[in-house]
Amino acid sequence: MSEPVREIAQDRRLTVDRELKGLILKHYMSAFRAKSPLGRKPVAWVTSGAPVEILLALGILPVYPENYGALVASRKAALPYCEAAEQAGYSLDLCAYARTNIGTFLLGQGELGGRPLPPPDLLVAAKNICDVVVKWWEVAARHFGCPLFILDTPYAADGLNPDQVAYVKGQLEDLVVFASKAARRRVPSKEAFESKLSEVLELTRQTVSLWNGIQALRQASPTPASALDMFTNMFPIVTLRGTKTCVDYYRKVTEELSERVKQGYGAVPLEKYRLIWDNIAIWYDFDLVRYLHARGAAFVGETYTDAWGIYDFDPSDAHDPLQAMARQYSLILLNIGLGIRKERLFRMVRSQRADGVVFHSCRSCKTYSLGQYELARAVRDELGLPTLVIEADMADSRAYSAGPTATRVDAFLEILAGKA
Amino acid sequence: MTNSTASGAMDRLLAAGADPAAHAPGPAVGYVCSYVPEEIILAAGLHPVRLGARPGPTGPADSRLQSFSCSFARALLDGLLSGRWNGLEGFVFAYTCDSLRAAFESWRISAPPGRLVHFLNLPARIEGPGVLDYAASEMRRLSEALGGVDGAHPPTPDDLAWAIGLIGAVRQNLEGLARVRRARPDLLPGSTYMAMARGAAVLDRREAATLTAAVADELTAAMGATVSPSRTPSGAPPRPGGGRPRVLVLGGYLETEEPLRLIEESGADIVSDDLCLGGRRLEFGAGDDSDPYRRLAAMYLGRTPCPTKHPPDRRFEEIRSRATTDGVDGAIFLLQKFCDPHAFDYPALRDTLAEAGVPSLVIEVELGAVSTGQARTRLEAFIETLRQTARTSRGPGHPRGAAAGARGPAASRAGRGGGRM
Repeated sequence: MSEPVREIAQDRRLTVDRELKGLILKHYMSAFRAKSPLGRKPVAWVTSGAPVEILLALGILPVYPENYGALVASRKAALPYCEAAEQAGYSLDLCAYARTNIGTFLLGQGELGGRPLPPPDLLVAAKNICDVVVKWWEVAARHFGCPLFILDTPYAADGLNPDQVAYVKGQLEDLVVFASKAARRRVPSKEAFESKLSEVLELTRQTVSLWNGIQALRQASPTPASALDMFTNMFPIVTLRGTKTCVDYYRKVTEELSERVKQGYGAVPLEKYRLIWDNIAIWYDFDLVRYLHARGAAFVGETYTDAWGIYDFDPSDAHDPLQAMARQYSLILLNIGLGIRKERLFRMVRSQRADGVVFHSCRSCKTYSLGQYELARAVRDELGLPTLVIEADMADSRAYSAGPTATRVDAFLEILAGKA
Repeated sequence: MTNSTASGAMDRLLAAGADPAAHAPGPAVGYVCSYVPEEIILAAGLHPVRLGARPGPTGPADSRLQSFSCSFARALLDGLLSGRWNGLEGFVFAYTCDSLRAAFESWRISAPPGRLVHFLNLPARIEGPGVLDYAASEMRRLSEALGGVDGAHPPTPDDLAWAIGLIGAVRQNLEGLARVRRARPDLLPGSTYMAMARGAAVLDRREAATLTAAVADELTAAMGATVSPSRTPSGAPPRPGGGRPRVLVLGGYLETEEPLRLIEESGADIVSDDLCLGGRRLEFGAGDDSDPYRRLAAMYLGRTPCPTKHPPDRRFEEIRSRATTDGVDGAIFLLQKFCDPHAFDYPALRDTLAEAGVPSLVIEVELGAVSTGQARTRLEAFIETLRQTARTSRGPGHPRGAAAGARGPAASRAGRGGGRM
């Protein structure tokens, strides 16, 4: 990637961010400790849409190769690992998170003190985010020779029907048995398990309630948090969801953002335009967002960070936690029909009072990206708002060109200025 | 091809495969994935037509799907948006992959009004708790949707039993043809076999059954007539010095037979395949349930799996065993550009085949075409290596040298009773 000279805004970092670094470190250290001779805690590699509450209730530690991929990419270090996977025969058109992960375990090297992720005792992937994770986890299962569970969530093209909910719920029941056995634990009684699971789900529900509250605080003008704050602060809801640590952390974020709103202190010095971001972050080029910040454009919502706001399990299913999970884990952003996704985007545009939408067309992520052209057209035609499509990739910088992107951003800002 | 070109039956099949839109009978419903049960479409009084895509640059689809979507999905959508399939009464997509899901979403907001656009939401798992029940519920849902199409009727159990029989007959005839291809690729080249399979997925299935049976009969007779001292007693081509290497071809849905012809022109015989229109459509599960939808679900869950289905073990095992029993010298992967499921399987499949002593080559296919010059050079070099290896390492007593012979009796079963209609 050529690095153009771009005038960028200084971040107005949240003070809680300091604590965040510690959380990330602690999380990965705990995974390594779990695998040490004294640890004896089973480690599961999970996808970002996996029903982790079940694993937590069984005392299994979930780690996220996708999050690890983002961490490597944000250090601009993904390339050698991607290339190692390509050398082994994995096409460079495949998901860059997958190539990063495969490359690290093939090389036995990585970005956690030089180490890759600790090896899994079990693998759990949910198809609700893409069909890629199913194949990626199969590769990992072959490499590590460890048990693999695929949660098959039918596409909710127009919502869910009872057969689909029953199918997913049956698999979740099976997952409890599978994970217990893979972790060499006794399969718990239904009663004991559901009681523990309900506790974990309650922590998730509290986390999600705080998270959605944080998104609502961003309706303020100026917005107290922009995309970079959210991309970094999503780490706990992704990886620590269902724990008290996570709830405590988001209480602090809520307090700090509420204080910013009270004082009228914005994430961006002179907020002129309010934007929505669609798709995964471009982890290796946060300067692109800072470039927008420098021109008075703030992000007031991201479909990516908002996606984690869905796990507020239906209270009418409270008596049946696995059914509640079956429903919610099938209805996540990347598993719903384009029409429902459009409604969610429009709702966000309206609630956050956005002036335009930036679509990151992410080469690595087909489920997220395919359909964006239709969404962009709908935003322009039905909401009358300008859109910008940026061709990039979340982790592999070879697919991205910063200079021409900045030029396109300038043109987009001119349109916004004309409409203001 | 020798005397079989004279066959009117074969010509008719080839013509249908070459221009499906012109040969689709009415009222017809187009479908995208080989997991869509043609039987239900037939049973509803409609004609199932496998939707293909024309090779070449895309037009209207480029503003709908990014260039990194699977090239087949984009080409398919392009054909739909261009109005090529506007004569059809409905369209059935299946959950194949992320790219085809997106093509479905684009098409359902753009299809001409009044047309059925159905998403058959089959499970990605082919085994495990609840899989059969859920798959059966989706089959039933498809049946209900088709029952409402103009010119259709809700299928009765008798309709379904008849359709299962008819499609089974077409499949058996194709299997018979596959046996001819395996034993005598000089009589039935792999590319011609695949072109006929394409035609059989377009024509009225009663006609397709008759035509495939006729070609199978004709070729089987030709096979018997041309066995001479220049052939091994089993009917397999001899392999002194100049013998053409036998290859297995693996990949997804091919828009045309062009890549297969290129392999043949480069000097190899395609005697076996794991392709969407070919080998993966031949073997199906037993499906003896009295409920027709559960029966169909069991058949489709039990068929040769495609890489979008989990777990992959049976797929890997079947490919490995096919490579061995079909006596191939090498394998050629035709990887559709931007096809994630196949691309993820490739390294492990390559290694599996290598462990079985089968070397392989990978060629990228985009929008139905290969970059001919470069691909030809690589293919010729690979095939030459296969030829030399076969020459040095394989005498008549070698298991793979004799493997084609093991197919001899099987070839004589081509087009036998159960497969005709």
